[in-house]
Amino acid sequence: MAAPVSTPTLAAPSPIDQSLADRLALIVGARRVLYRPSELLTYTADALPSYFKKPALAVFPGTREEVIAVVRELAARGVPFVPRGAGTGLSGGALADGIVLVGLNRLTRVISIDADNMLATVEPGVVNVALSRAVATYGLHYAPDPSSQAACTIGGNVAENAGGPHCLKYGVTTNHILALEVILPDGEIVTLGSTEGENDGYDLVGTFVGSEGCFGIALSITVRLSRNPEGVRTLLADFMSIDAAAQTVSAIVATGIIPAALEMIDQATIRAVESSIYAAGYPTDAAAALLIELDGAIAGLEHDVETVATYCRANGARTVRIARDEVERTKLWQGRKKAFGAMGRVSSHLVVQDAVVPRTKLPEVLAKIHDIGQVNRVKVCNVFHAGDGNLHPNIAYNAADADETARVHVAMKEIMTLCVDAGGTITGEHGVGLDKLPYMDLIFSAESLEAMCTLREVFDPERRSNPGKVVPVHACREWHMSPAARPSSSPA
Amino acid sequence: MAHVARGPPELLAGMTTLTVSSAADLRDRVREASSRGTPLRIVGAGTWLDAGRPVRGVESLSTQGLSGIVDYVPGDLTLTAGAGTSLAEIRREAGKHNQWLALDPHGSDDGTLGATIATASAGPLATAFGTPRDLVLGVEFVTGTGNIARGGGRVVKNVAGFDLTRLMTGAWGTLGVITEATVRLHACPQVDETIGVSMAGDADSLDRTRQLLRRLAFTPYACEALNGAFADTVVGRDEPIALFRLAGNLESVAAQRTALLELGQPFDVSADAWSRLRTAESSGAIVFRLSRRPSEIGATWAEANRIVDGIPGAVLHATLTRGVVRCIVPNAGDSAARLGAALAGGESKRIGERMPEALWTSAFPSRAMTGIPARLKAAFDPRGVLNHGIFGASI
Repeated sequence: MAAPVSTPTLAAPSPIDQSLADRLALIVGARRVLYRPSELLTYTADALPSYFKKPALAVFPGTREEVIAVVRELAARGVPFVPRGAGTGLSGGALADGIVLVGLNRLTRVISIDADNMLATVEPGVVNVALSRAVATYGLHYAPDPSSQAACTIGGNVAENAGGPHCLKYGVTTNHILALEVILPDGEIVTLGSTEGENDGYDLVGTFVGSEGCFGIALSITVRLSRNPEGVRTLLADFMSIDAAAQTVSAIVATGIIPAALEMIDQATIRAVESSIYAAGYPTDAAAALLIELDGAIAGLEHDVETVATYCRANGARTVRIARDEVERTKLWQGRKKAFGAMGRVSSHLVVQDAVVPRTKLPEVLAKIHDIGQVNRVKVCNVFHAGDGNLHPNIAYNAADADETARVHVAMKEIMTLCVDAGGTITGEHGVGLDKLPYMDLIFSAESLEAMCTLREVFDPERRSNPGKVVPVHACREWHMSPAARPSSSPA
Repeated sequence: MAHVARGPPELLAGMTTLTVSSAADLRDRVREASSRGTPLRIVGAGTWLDAGRPVRGVESLSTQGLSGIVDYVPGDLTLTAGAGTSLAEIRREAGKHNQWLALDPHGSDDGTLGATIATASAGPLATAFGTPRDLVLGVEFVTGTGNIARGGGRVVKNVAGFDLTRLMTGAWGTLGVITEATVRLHACPQVDETIGVSMAGDADSLDRTRQLLRRLAFTPYACEALNGAFADTVVGRDEPIALFRLAGNLESVAAQRTALLELGQPFDVSADAWSRLRTAESSGAIVFRLSRRPSEIGATWAEANRIVDGIPGAVLHATLTRGVVRCIVPNAGDSAARLGAALAGGESKRIGERMPEALWTSAFPSRAMTGIPARLKAAFDPRGVLNHGIFGASI
């Protein structure tokens, strides 16, 4: 197929054509505008291997000024676009279906660090872990730590309101963003929040964070940093039943001790991890293990460790292992953080689900998830943020097997319905993107979805930024998006 | 039962008070008002009617009928309640399970959950727990167009859909009327103690205290510096003090006390000092805040002292780690006029809480809202019926 293509189905006022590619090349350089199918292959999916959408072209600005010029050029031509960070998302949110993809991963500058006030201002393409590294010399770090933190960007984290294991104690992305400079889809630049004193007025930072690229592009992001804890203790408790592990989660939380992290790993996941290069020494005969981290001032920490260990044992833990040193601690965490990778050994494809249930419903919901797996003859692995009730049921499967694939999708749908019925939600940290669109009606009324459409239009009246994501198209009155810009929401 | 609003009655003088018993009921009231173009003053318990800019309401709409805890599962540490539920009721119910809502906005616990969220009001506990935006998990609200919408949910982590919850938090009822909210609770700590340390009270002493807190390995639940006049009211000592709320297990609190010895010999303070601090101001007082980055707290404190210099009865307190100084000035004699002049210019950001209309106009001139805030208002309350003017000229 010759490219760039003048997409005949795209009813935009000005098509994505050679003249646009040429114009963008003038802004960012020819090497930074991709339109050949082979070049675009990388950008047809994110980390969720269920959706494939081809952008018409991808453009990679390298500076703030280039981002502004690109967005304004797209605005002038009325061309829809999708902002993208590192593409590690798990909801199909950063896919561009026949429209322009704006990659922001070249904007990697840490603009300023104010260690005394524990703030840093960064460009959107700064990698999560690189920010923590940049402030490490001040004894600080950036707390939200998605499992993809070695690759994902702060801009992407803002778009998704990313979480991570340590968000149990420290809060998710929105609790760590103080201010944003944003270019709206129409090219206007606005400052949200405040770096100098209290914010007054509407909480526009809170409104923008988690907007999944639908409200514009963050040009700079001011984050709150956290002190590195004086002490960190990591425990691994293993259980002979999932139920006992789940009860322990509630028991620990009820003590008033807030663990830095409280993660559950079930047997299927343990076995996948232990047979991979990420083997962490988890006991493979356990039904489930809890990875528990406590941190803070050293005084009193040991007392909390003892309390937690006691509660684990009282609730049926077979063994409670406390990491002796940093090496052992890192290894225990490696097993958890690379669990998804380890599952690559089990099958060629993996769907990662992301739902939240009230913590007290964990035992019941986990038992029912097990049943759903059995009935549909699929293997469900659970590795998740138990302290938050944030489940990640995963199903490893072979996408080439149509029958298995169909059963996987039935099971996933049943799991989502189960979590919603338990009083939960359809996504705790991965976002809606394309993947959760069909479930939005389960938890939001038509009026709530309409309010979300209204909010989106305040930021993007033309609905050109990441069109067709987050809120189902039918929920928005007077939706005039062209067929080409509308995603086909059935998974590949 | 008719709900009679407390607070300065003249603020509701001449207004009919509409009471409701359900969100649907409230929606109908808003729809009627919207179709008639009647501006509404949204009222919770009515304890803070003089907060925010004056509202040109024709009718007041009370959320007090939306009172009561809807759902509370202690094991989940989440609680859902009607907007008109008082903070006191939440404290009582959560307390039965050794839990609490870690919000202590200024004013008494008679205030409602809805008003606390709508105004994003926070007190000393914000040092450790943040403000309402950090503790609210979901809201139900009625938009100015009369739709009932929900944002967030009842679970502690949720990224489904756009964040209508934070849009409503701190919007002062100008985009929607909150009818119900779900909040995150915390388990009560094993030990919860308050100590005071006397301090010089100059800018330098505040800076040094903040620097110490920045270096320490723990964050106190609260840390406020009080000028002498305020310390007299709160702890009965007429000298500047720093007030610390320390919590955790026994060993941790002991270590926290030790670490703070660097500031001087502490004295024990009873826990009710915090409620005295929250409720010290009289109805009708002039209250405003100055803020900058925390590292400039000394300079901000000095600036606040200059502003209130010579005004009888003025008291100040500073939330050291948040860079905020709060000023409470009795509205007597020529204090309003003097403040009007003194508040002009200056380095710090100024945020008004409550004051006579003339002072709002002179010291906090309302700018015409433009851009996203104005577009939000136009989208969610196109007829301008909700708390019109409480935020500024067009909002």
